[in-house]
Amino acid sequence: MNKISINKSLGIFPKSWSEQQAGRIPGNIPIWVGILSELTEFGIFFAAYFLAKFYYPEVFSQGPQSLNTGFGVTNTIVLLASSYFMAKAMAFIRLDNRAKCERYLWLAFSCGCLYLIVKTWEFYWNEAQGLSVNTSKFFTVYYYMTFNHFLHVGWASCAILWVIFRLRGKAYCAQEHTGLESLAVYWHMIDLMWILIFPLLYVLR
Amino acid sequence: MKNIGKLEYCLVSLIAITLFNAFLGERFASTAIVSIVIALTVIYKGFVVIDHFMELKAANKNLRLLMRLYFVVFPAMVIVSAFY
Repeated sequence: MNKISINKSLGIFPKSWSEQQAGRIPGNIPIWVGILSELTEFGIFFAAYFLAKFYYPEVFSQGPQSLNTGFGVTNTIVLLASSYFMAKAMAFIRLDNRAKCERYLWLAFSCGCLYLIVKTWEFYWNEAQGLSVNTSKFFTVYYYMTFNHFLHVGWASCAILWVIFRLRGKAYCAQEHTGLESLAVYWHMIDLMWILIFPLLYVLR
Repeated sequence: MKNIGKLEYCLVSLIAITLFNAFLGERFASTAIVSIVIALTVIYKGFVVIDHFMELKAANKNLRLLMRLYFVVFPAMVIVSAFY
């Protein structure tokens, strides 16, 4: 199913939302339904964070001081780099350069794996410091938010592998790369969520 | 290639802002000023990723508006939370 048929098949949005009037939709509509759902889910987490911080300001002031900021900074840089690599992969598929596109997808995948390793290491480090989900309200929010994000990076990394497999099968070219672009916007959404999570959990005290 | 130089510039600026934020967090208490600065940098980082990595700048204006709105609302809550 190509991009045009996917985007026309739903027909659930007003005309002003059509690509003709509002502009091109990167990827396809189904992935954007998914992205907006994920944004809602994370939005609830963020609302819970601010609500909990309102009721327990002391706990949320002390909580980040127990964390290792280095892990948070490292993972932020790793995810930003992964977004850059994904954007480069998109640039090269538009030039019909599959080899370079695949190279950048592997780099993005490596960043995803590195993120997962650093995050796992951080969870172990926290445990060694005696920090757990029951330590305080801050850590309940911290584990709920970061583990959820961890899962998103995990399955999106698997999706990169799938896209590489499809790319090798010549499923994408300069003219048709909807699947690859859908993954790219999803990956950037995950990066965006971390951009919000990082200051909330590691920086603000 | 049209956006190659721009992408590298974006990446470097995003990393620099991340390090600056970490420095603020480590060195200063979260006063109202620090919270406002951090919130503004988060807005900037979000807008850069939305416009240049996600490529919504030249794409669907409604999706771009929704995404940008997300990165105004939650950083604004950071500023509000500084006055709890």
